[in-house]
Amino acid sequence: MSMAPVSAAHRPRLLGEKERFMLLLIAPAALVLLSFEVVPILIGMNASFRDWSLVNPQKTWVGLRHYVEVFTDPVFLKIVLPNTFILMVSSVTLSLVFGLALAHLLKRQFFGRILIQTVVLLPLTIAPVITATMMRWSFNDQFGILTNLLAVIGVPQVGWLSERWPSFIIIILTDVWIWTPWFTIILLAALQGLPKEPYEAAQIDAASKWGIFTHVTLPLLRPVIAVCVLIRAIDAFRTFDQVWVLTGGGPARSTEVFSVYAYVEAFVNLDLGRGAAAAGAGAIIMLAVGLGLYAIVNRAMEVSR
Amino acid sequence: MAEVILKDVCKTYGSLHVVKDVSLHIQDREFLVLVGPSGCGKSTTLRMVAGLEGISTGTIQIGSTVVNDLPPKDRDIAMVFQNYALYQHMTVYDNLAFGLRNRKVSEDKIKQEVMRATEILGLGPLLGRKPQQLSGGQQQRVALGRCIVRHPQVFLFDEPLSNLDAKLRAQMRVELKRLRERVETTSIYVTHDQVEAMTLGDRVVVMKDGCIQQVGTPLDIYNRPKNRFVASFIGAPAMNFLPVDIVQKGDFFHAEAQDFSIRLPPQRAAIFARTNRRPVTLGVRPEQVCFGPCPAGHETAFSAPVEVTEQLGAEMVIGVRAGDTLMMASRIAPEAPIAVHDHVPLWLDPRGLHFFDRESEEAIN
Amino acid sequence: MSLSLAVSSTGPRAQAGGFLGLLGVAGRRVFFALAVVAILLIFIGPVAILLLTSVRPPSGVYYIWRGWEFTLDNFAEVLAQPVVLHSMWNSFVLSSIATVASLGVTVGSGYMLSRFTGPIQRSWFGIIYVFRTVPYISWVLPLYLVTTNLGIYDTYLGLLLPHVAVHVCFFSWIMKGFFDSISPSMEHAALIDGCTRWGAFRRVALPSAMPGIAALAILSWLWTWNEFLFGLILTAQRTPVITVTMAQFVTETGTEWHLMSATAVLAMLPALLITIFGQKYVVRGLRM
Repeated sequence: MSMAPVSAAHRPRLLGEKERFMLLLIAPAALVLLSFEVVPILIGMNASFRDWSLVNPQKTWVGLRHYVEVFTDPVFLKIVLPNTFILMVSSVTLSLVFGLALAHLLKRQFFGRILIQTVVLLPLTIAPVITATMMRWSFNDQFGILTNLLAVIGVPQVGWLSERWPSFIIIILTDVWIWTPWFTIILLAALQGLPKEPYEAAQIDAASKWGIFTHVTLPLLRPVIAVCVLIRAIDAFRTFDQVWVLTGGGPARSTEVFSVYAYVEAFVNLDLGRGAAAAGAGAIIMLAVGLGLYAIVNRAMEVSR
Repeated sequence: MAEVILKDVCKTYGSLHVVKDVSLHIQDREFLVLVGPSGCGKSTTLRMVAGLEGISTGTIQIGSTVVNDLPPKDRDIAMVFQNYALYQHMTVYDNLAFGLRNRKVSEDKIKQEVMRATEILGLGPLLGRKPQQLSGGQQQRVALGRCIVRHPQVFLFDEPLSNLDAKLRAQMRVELKRLRERVETTSIYVTHDQVEAMTLGDRVVVMKDGCIQQVGTPLDIYNRPKNRFVASFIGAPAMNFLPVDIVQKGDFFHAEAQDFSIRLPPQRAAIFARTNRRPVTLGVRPEQVCFGPCPAGHETAFSAPVEVTEQLGAEMVIGVRAGDTLMMASRIAPEAPIAVHDHVPLWLDPRGLHFFDRESEEAIN
Repeated sequence: MSLSLAVSSTGPRAQAGGFLGLLGVAGRRVFFALAVVAILLIFIGPVAILLLTSVRPPSGVYYIWRGWEFTLDNFAEVLAQPVVLHSMWNSFVLSSIATVASLGVTVGSGYMLSRFTGPIQRSWFGIIYVFRTVPYISWVLPLYLVTTNLGIYDTYLGLLLPHVAVHVCFFSWIMKGFFDSISPSMEHAALIDGCTRWGAFRRVALPSAMPGIAALAILSWLWTWNEFLFGLILTAQRTPVITVTMAQFVTETGTEWHLMSATAVLAMLPALLITIFGQKYVVRGLRM
């Protein structure tokens, strides 16, 4: 082989061999993302600037009017947004706590461990929409099994799904039930992968079990927990199935979260433009929340490193 | 087999200069060791030769080919990594055969080459195992085997022994040396361990902060270090450094510090002839600090209080107070009647006196 | 600190510390057993209700307790409806293909995010993160228009590609984690051993990431199997999926709880099998 031509300055070309390889690696993902996520989002954005009613699709350009309407709608501001954040925070916190406790339990060896683990993973095997449907049925005013069971143990019989807070608590608990296994399995895997030495050191230091948990386990798990919480929080923000099936946002729109709000605007009130604007508003809020969470998580990872 | 030529090679990450103007000419069949503390740019230099890092400026030539823009696979090199980097999902045999299969060598020929490497390295019983089932030493031997089956132009070693424990490291060092006798391939070997550098290298390159400090044979570097850094890095126990003033007293020059004064032998003092009083650093290796009365003809005797003693069985190492420094003296007979706080007579071997400019830290010759 | 603790806690009981320490050995056993029972109740509860409803006669679901009146007729009835088996088959095919396709599409993306630095990597990571935060609701509806325009509405493809798109961001991110936990020096060795970048990725990095990918495959299959919203909006009569079919027993054709439950129990079976046999691999694969 002859001497390769050596240019005076070895500046990397805009698309060197490495860059082309990088693009090749992401090409399939980028293509799918573009056609089936970016394009629909752009269509949605377009719709959000127009009067796009399903009954009378004139598609007149109205600019930011729908956004203004959404952001000044008392239902959106006073009910939907608080609900969405309450659901997000409580669902993530509770599933994290339960997941951590269960992972801790399943980490040990005991008789029947695999059976318990399988039971804990049961929610993974049922479609959330079915779980929610069953919960709705179980809390039926008259025939609901749980309504009646609760009455037997002395809990006053209320219209579980016809009052705001009882139904919202049921929504939260259903969501927790659905997502706890997810936390459990990831944290269990992480627990099993932890190094032994810090535990041995803590035992030599005669730390209590709780002390070991808070001073050894939690700091070691921090990166995993941070990523789990980040992923789940983003998901929880857009919860739709459970709420829609359990309460449909009612009674009187009091349990609407933002996905349901957008859906109602678009398909119940048959105003696609307004619905798209609601979805867009949610996306903007979520983006801000997501970036904030990302910064927090990044810091959490750095501290633990 | 081929020579490797680096010409003004630089590596920058943004504003960070990791390797600065490294030029080296590695002869065909030469075993060159790059040694230096971590972060000195030695590994980056090696990885540029391998093609795993881009070259910011300068050229690297293997044989007659400038390889700057060639991917690693086309450079005809083989490399041993610190963490072995064996293919975890393949057996030892497949690990050895992998590179040859990539080059479309026939299975018969592969088998022959693998068997040859197996025989050289004693891997016979391990061929069917997976890397996780091997000890560190065995894994590193497989990594060596992966190189020699290929008959590449150049071997690259990136701290291959650092992950092994001390005993195994010494053993593998000897094995590498024996391997050299059988497989004479141009080699570049990166290490932070000066013992490996001294024992393995035909020539040694000492690096610091991305710059070459000195290139030379091991003895050259040991005996004539170019600056204080090289002197301190090479040799164990490390060289003693003592800030002294060179003072002319009559016909003689003295090196003086607090509670310490020796007369310099005339041949060594010649370099100071033109200056009157000069602050320098005196360097002397522990093995050249001798215990006992000074032999006739040498005037380098002094005495100092003992602060520590280390009994090693074959020899004793002591630390004495000289000026502000703890001066180590080795090669002392293990039975020597020395205890802490004793004032003991010592003398410095005049051939082993090194002087360094206190400002520039360069050797004064 | 360690010293003072060691002095104060001498007995084995004190070592357990806190509330559990006060219970003593027997007390701790009881507490542990109670916790286990509570967990079983909480997690089995809804499933048990589902099972119970599925074996009650149609009128039985409206009574809290009606003696030992059980029947398998519900299963016979739903199995007699062609749409149930058809949608189960559709969901099975869809989950399997979507899993393979999602993993196939995202493995390279995750590898790129893990192994490279620079503007391309940073931009892609930013894109992934931003699009991960965009709520489904804002693109599922227009997605209907996209699939209709492409002529793939209510087909496997029209359901498959959106499912892959949902997974792109999340899976790329998880895959990055898998590759982050593998030392890149193995690939460097492969590059030197004569592989191209692609070869080092496919023949060395990919096999090493397999345990993680297997775990993700199991989770992906379960998620797709249980997915509802996409199925609801992107399918009609031609390609029904099981979640939508189940839900329809309660929403459109009256409230046939017994039939919905029977179908749900049937739909649970494959998911349960996969969970039982796959949990070991999931836990092992997610251990990083």
